[in-house]
Amino acid sequence: MTKESTTPLVKNDDGSLIILFPKSVYSLDAVKKASYKFTDSCSFLINEQNTAYEVLCKPTADIPSKALDELVNSFCNEVLDQDLRERIASETHAVRSLILAQAFSKTSLLEG
Amino acid sequence: MALASTKFKDLDFFNQSLESGYKLLPFNFIKLDDSRYVITNIAGEYLVITKEDLYAVANKQLCPGSPVYNTLKSKHFIYDDDSSVALELLALKYRTKMAPLANFTGLHLFVTTLRCDHSCPYCQVSRQSEDKAAFDMTPEIADKAIDFTFQSPSNEIKIEFQGGESLLNFEMVKYVVEEATKRNQTENRDLQFVIATNLSPLTDGMLDFCLKYDILISTSLDGPEELHNGNRPRPGKDSYEKVMTGMQKVRELLGPDKLGALMTTTKDSLTQAKPIIDEYVEQGFSSIFLRPLSPYGFAIKTKSFDAYQTEEWLKFYKEGLDYIIELNKQGLYFIEDYTALILNKMLTPFGTTYVDLQSPSGMAISAIVFNYDGDIYASDESRMLAEMGEKRFRLGNLLQDTYEGVMLSDALLGPLEATITESMPMCNDCGFQNYCGSDPVYHYATQGDIIGNKAFSGFCKKNMTIMRHLIKLLEDDPEARDVLLSWVRV
Repeated sequence: MTKESTTPLVKNDDGSLIILFPKSVYSLDAVKKASYKFTDSCSFLINEQNTAYEVLCKPTADIPSKALDELVNSFCNEVLDQDLRERIASETHAVRSLILAQAFSKTSLLEG
Repeated sequence: MALASTKFKDLDFFNQSLESGYKLLPFNFIKLDDSRYVITNIAGEYLVITKEDLYAVANKQLCPGSPVYNTLKSKHFIYDDDSSVALELLALKYRTKMAPLANFTGLHLFVTTLRCDHSCPYCQVSRQSEDKAAFDMTPEIADKAIDFTFQSPSNEIKIEFQGGESLLNFEMVKYVVEEATKRNQTENRDLQFVIATNLSPLTDGMLDFCLKYDILISTSLDGPEELHNGNRPRPGKDSYEKVMTGMQKVRELLGPDKLGALMTTTKDSLTQAKPIIDEYVEQGFSSIFLRPLSPYGFAIKTKSFDAYQTEEWLKFYKEGLDYIIELNKQGLYFIEDYTALILNKMLTPFGTTYVDLQSPSGMAISAIVFNYDGDIYASDESRMLAEMGEKRFRLGNLLQDTYEGVMLSDALLGPLEATITESMPMCNDCGFQNYCGSDPVYHYATQGDIIGNKAFSGFCKKNMTIMRHLIKLLEDDPEARDVLLSWVRV
């Protein structure tokens, strides 16, 4: 493992960015899902460090500085949203199964 | 008073509910704009709330009894001890939404011939040929197609004749209608026929036949004369004149309710939203389907072309929709069909049989295509893709394969399983998942993959933009809301 970064956001000279997401706050799935959603604008490499997920984000085209800042903000907010989705899905998993079971229990959809 | 006491519980009951807290019901969400989110429950009911409220509800910080608490509770996003019926109501609504799946294949497209007198650049399949033997459906294939059709468990069977120009093989249209009608005397299905035609070969004899069998006519009208003739070249450059004459005859002999029209959007159409809509109004139609550009052709070669096209089409769509809403405000009841389909998904518990807005995709299980040569395709777009050399969605051949063999084939079940949006990357937790669908042929054509990466998908961009636009209109523009609500059928 390489030396652990501590700065949450680093802008590299080649236009790429390094963003750190503390493991105590964010899940790997949330970081991955948010990254996937932005694959039309950037390529991503996600590394696991001791205390954080390190996301190396390379824009696929030249982006003006202001637009890049907006992209980073959107990406970070998307990680938050993904984290929230995960929590909702986890908390409602059992009740979702219950609703689906109830929905299909009285319909011919399940009849052979 | 005894009755009242069973209707209204005393105050202590509610206080107990509030003290025990609330629980979340399954829901998805998506950003609407900088300050608002759309949240949708498992049955597709939506609410627009602030980001603060979204995080508050998930973090259990909502104040019980507050307006937002009560709204979320009544719309089945949360429940407490006082709302035990919420689960059963949600299950009922979800089942209603899924019900069309059980109906199975309703629409059966019979390609009676690939021959056509038009040479439209956007059509991948038509042939300029006099060789009937090479491109016409035979009675043997038609018999097999009718057998296949009646094996569908659906009570509602629609047979639609497609081409080429379907009427250039009118003998086959007659044969299928007569044989299917005979067959239906014992099947007793709700059987309906539609002829998709450019109307140029139409004769009075054909119309008499249509009248006898209550056949609907669906024609192509791309807009005003110059645009229509440019989009749809034929010898004599008189496609518009032919379609006008044909429409008049259909209305006179069959009745105005028996005629429908579809438009195809080309590059030339994109700047003519208003003239196209005006043409439909002038010709007496009460709706228009602003259909997006098909990706087949250019998009297979370049992904960027696809994205560019989507942007342009969305501009065209919004301009058209704005204009249609204005016409409605002035007292003309006129619908944009794609908008109405989505609104019905958003605002009613009912599902749709529109192939591209279903999960799984409606390919073969809502609509299926029998080509002139007996090949069976999952959709009309699959047939077009096959004509360009890609037969990924060819499901079999009527002369060689059985109904069970086709409907249980890996060629069909694979894509169906892959197009369940509840398990597709980026769709499964999308706030619009309930309203959307998937288009495996589109994604295969543009990305070489039936699921596709939605970050690059013109299909996803199109639907997300439209859905955001419609919800903003519903939320922020009371006059537009009234118009849009009048398009919802319950």
